[in-house]
Amino acid sequence: MRKCNEARRTIWGSAGLAAGIALAAQPAIGADTTSMQNQIDELQREVTSLKDTVKAPDSVVHLAGYGSAGFSSRKSDSTFQVFSFSPIFHYQYKDLMLMQAELEMGYNEDGSTETVLEYASLNLIMNDHAVLVAGQFLSPIGQFRQNLHPAWINKLPSKPLGFADGGAAPLTETGVEVRGGFTPGGHGLNYALYVGNGPKLVDNAGELEVETEGNSSDANKNKTVGGRIGYLPLHNLEIGVSAAAGKANLPGEDNRNYRVYDVDFAFQPAVVELRGEYVQTKVDSLAGSAIPDEHTWKAWYVQASHKFAPSRWEAVLRYGKFTPPEKSQELKQWAAGLNYLFASNVIGKLSYEKNDGPVGSVDDENRFVAQLAYGF
Amino acid sequence: MTIRHTLQTFNRLGFAIVAGVGFAVLVWSPAGAQQSQKQMVQSAKATAGERAKQGDYLRGLKAWEQNCARCHNARDPKEYSDALWKPVITHMRIRAGLTGQEARDILKFIQDSN
Repeated sequence: MRKCNEARRTIWGSAGLAAGIALAAQPAIGADTTSMQNQIDELQREVTSLKDTVKAPDSVVHLAGYGSAGFSSRKSDSTFQVFSFSPIFHYQYKDLMLMQAELEMGYNEDGSTETVLEYASLNLIMNDHAVLVAGQFLSPIGQFRQNLHPAWINKLPSKPLGFADGGAAPLTETGVEVRGGFTPGGHGLNYALYVGNGPKLVDNAGELEVETEGNSSDANKNKTVGGRIGYLPLHNLEIGVSAAAGKANLPGEDNRNYRVYDVDFAFQPAVVELRGEYVQTKVDSLAGSAIPDEHTWKAWYVQASHKFAPSRWEAVLRYGKFTPPEKSQELKQWAAGLNYLFASNVIGKLSYEKNDGPVGSVDDENRFVAQLAYGF
Repeated sequence: MTIRHTLQTFNRLGFAIVAGVGFAVLVWSPAGAQQSQKQMVQSAKATAGERAKQGDYLRGLKAWEQNCARCHNARDPKEYSDALWKPVITHMRIRAGLTGQEARDILKFIQDSN
């Protein structure tokens, strides 16, 4: 009984002591908790700020581009194609300006190195629907040249007939351009309008050629005006219409009219991707000229491709035709290809081209082409 | 007489004060409340507008699916850091004729998938 009372006293004593300590310590614990909460809040703010900075610093420099290496074999020769390297430099300042430039580097046939400035432009973001582009830019005429020519995007190792150098499609323009997009009624609508130096005419041993690349000065005072409007009536169908008009002249001669027309489409129903483009470039006749006749270049192609999902294989089929002013030089081509996607931007391509050109020329020989392309 | 007069004066003064405060409450307070409410609505609208202008993950997913594959194979969001995606998307906005809103949405989708 006595022990019981002692125990009771001990318990009550301990409880009282604990309560006393707790009451005495309460303000200190409260202060510590508040301090810790403040520190956590401060830390949270710093982490959020850091995340924002990492996600969106004011200035960003970025290196992109693509490269490819290949091999081709036809009756008259077989050769490894030199590695083509096209770095693209991006510098962006806030949501205001993007500077971009692309170089095209490779070897000439004599082994010398060739570096070409493909384009270099300042892009001022004016609002959600317009970007002002100033400098040298890819021609917005059609779709292949401005969107599909990089080796990792083009599904075949070669470009469609008439859409490369010396073809019917303009390549680059030097001037100013406004481009952007709208979504009227939920449909896509994109546009590009430009005014630039336009092309130069060249007398190449009696053959008239139109140079549309790298014209850093205007051969005449007349500027070329052009553009493209693309409309997407369905989310997987785009139809584009392009045109350009201006003046061009051979050195020392009067101006003659220069016109370009282009229509293009891209359609991606469930199992197949279809696309095609038609382009026509026309230079009017000029009495008294060293090459007085009217000249017209026409080129078109259609292409179908199919990915064998879930595998990494892809099949491609393309038909193209290029008609230069000299009809005897007309080229036709069937190209069938099989691609393997090591990754979405690393593509191995193997194709067979059935070519129909001037009899006896290399353009009439069929060929195998293999290519490894990388976009970064 | 003086006391009564004084009380009446206080009563009148009190009535005047109460009436004045009441009038102020009736006239000024609702106006203030309306003003405050108007400001809150404007502020909410501005916030909603800014939020709508910001990138949206789901809109970005849809825009990414519908636009990028029109020309090329889809790139892995983990290919670049969040910051490096910005000039890439700006480049593609210009190249593909996207709106600024579509570009912000796609950037949000890519960065959040990274």
